[in-house]
Amino acid sequence: MLYREAGDFKTTYREDNQTFPIKSERILFWAAMAFAFLVVPFFIDSYWEKSVLVPLLVWALVALGLNILTGYCGQVSLGTGGFMAVGAFACYKLMTAFPDLNIFFVVLLSGCVTALVGMIFGLPSLRIKGFYLAVATLAAQFFLIWVFNKFAWFYNYSASGQITAPERAVFGIAVTGPNAAPWATYLFCLTILFIFAWFARNLTRGRVGRSWMAIRDMDIAAEIIGVEPLKTKLSAFAVSSFYIGVAGALFFSVYLGAAEVTEAFGIDKSFLALFMVIIGGLGSILGSFLGAAFLVLLPVLLKNLFVGSLGWPTDVAAHIQIMLIGGLIVFFLIVEPHGLAQLWRLAKEKLRLWPFPY
Amino acid sequence: MNVHIREDMSRHTLRADDGIATGGDLLKVDNISLSFGGVKAISDISFDVRKGEIRAIIGPNGAGKTSMLNVINGFYHPQEGVITFRGKTRSRMRPHEAARQGIARTFQNIALFKGMSTLDNIMTGRITLQKRNMFWHGLWAGPAEREEIEHREAVEGIIDFLEIEHIRKTPVGSLPYGLQKRVELGRALAAEPALLLLDEPMAGMNLEEKEDMSRFILDVNQQFGTTIALIEHDMGVVMDLSDRVVVLDYGRKIGDGPPDEVRNNQDVIDAYLGVPHE
Repeated sequence: MLYREAGDFKTTYREDNQTFPIKSERILFWAAMAFAFLVVPFFIDSYWEKSVLVPLLVWALVALGLNILTGYCGQVSLGTGGFMAVGAFACYKLMTAFPDLNIFFVVLLSGCVTALVGMIFGLPSLRIKGFYLAVATLAAQFFLIWVFNKFAWFYNYSASGQITAPERAVFGIAVTGPNAAPWATYLFCLTILFIFAWFARNLTRGRVGRSWMAIRDMDIAAEIIGVEPLKTKLSAFAVSSFYIGVAGALFFSVYLGAAEVTEAFGIDKSFLALFMVIIGGLGSILGSFLGAAFLVLLPVLLKNLFVGSLGWPTDVAAHIQIMLIGGLIVFFLIVEPHGLAQLWRLAKEKLRLWPFPY
Repeated sequence: MNVHIREDMSRHTLRADDGIATGGDLLKVDNISLSFGGVKAISDISFDVRKGEIRAIIGPNGAGKTSMLNVINGFYHPQEGVITFRGKTRSRMRPHEAARQGIARTFQNIALFKGMSTLDNIMTGRITLQKRNMFWHGLWAGPAEREEIEHREAVEGIIDFLEIEHIRKTPVGSLPYGLQKRVELGRALAAEPALLLLDEPMAGMNLEEKEDMSRFILDVNQQFGTTIALIEHDMGVVMDLSDRVVVLDYGRKIGDGPPDEVRNNQDVIDAYLGVPHE
């Protein structure tokens, strides 16, 4: 009864183009946003920040970026970890070279640097597709990690090879470094994610998104219609890498604080991002969030359940947790190969007709 | 409503005006030869397409008809020959450049974007007409939104014209074959082409669908003044629709002229009835 589109008539194309065409969806969305922005910061503590919310926000941004490339433009990438590393190291170099530069701009510039690197590694996509492209981006992953290990300039010649984020502030409130308050880091990440998700949604609903999807669905027909493959594919690589670079910068500076490249940005991160996108739903903004939530929150939840409530030994719990998550991934993919976002869509379709589904 | 659409469309065709009078040569292909390795797909073919006409290309299977269309819209590059489109001679050209010059086409096997709705598919047809860059589209509010709505209006005109309002928001993958063909025609029309290439628009259709499609093709030609070159195997349709017919066989041109003349051409009859090649 709450979820109805009857009587919700669209009389202009503008209204018809809305992100949330149904009124109850709009109300729900803005209520959730109000809760996230206005309520959560007052109750957040260090545990929720470090274990749940900030990683969730950062990984949602990574998934969003990868979904633009893989879900919308159809170019499979296994270089996500490498691109996150580019964002992180660009952020570190900019933070240490320009201590007065606002961290917000540092993060954006890191994204720009990553976009450039992403475009270079996107060049092979003009000749190769599918699995072959995935292997080419895998090369990016290993090459970039090797570069950041090999050349000491990137980690400012520190003895440990680690990079450590100095304290930086927005409006005088520290968001990086050991003294940053949980609510400050949370709000900083949330604001960036909100802006980026809104931008991604706009890109994907208009001309740019259609040209990406045209390349994804049938590249020859797309070219004959007038989509330039070179420009379109590279733009997808650029935007996607920009998002992943910004996420990498936040991952390093706000979330980890200190990072060692092989450990923080290894190949497992690339796979994690790809799993998020596939489980969440390829070609769906909502799917990016659902996928990230699934793979970030579930381990935390299971750990709390096994170790916290049931009192199992940590190692047993960890192994069972891995098995359970693997099993759930397979289960969800069998139930709905198009991901959680599709399940959500189906649920909405059912709800529209409920309780008279004829 | 219909009057409004026609006005809208004629405004757009005026914008695409290129100074070629109706009946003048819109497209001329001269001495085109195309081969793949040792296989000669097209040898030394010349013909023209006049502005405002419906030009049919026919021939038995493997005659080189689709190869010819692929040459015209830049997908294949002929080894020899010259193509003159709208008074401009062109050399090698990528398909998206041909699209920008005003050539649109449909495919023998439907080539729709399966993951997108009917509306989005047809909107994609207008991609060469949309100018705003990525930054504006990311912001959405303002210029990009105005542009999207302006093009949406034109696309709704095409949706009305093809009578596919009810499937506007349906993903095209789930549509029946006949409707998919219609959506594909809509996508090609959305580009407001000067020359529309149709590769077997009626393949696999029943009689009723063929009649519908024939009416759409005639209406496109007459209402929008779009020049059409089409490949079709149904001889009844070809003879009724087209102003002039060019006949290919084994990569060579064996006939060219009005339907009645082609029908009585001995070479054409031989090619279709199967006379042994010397």
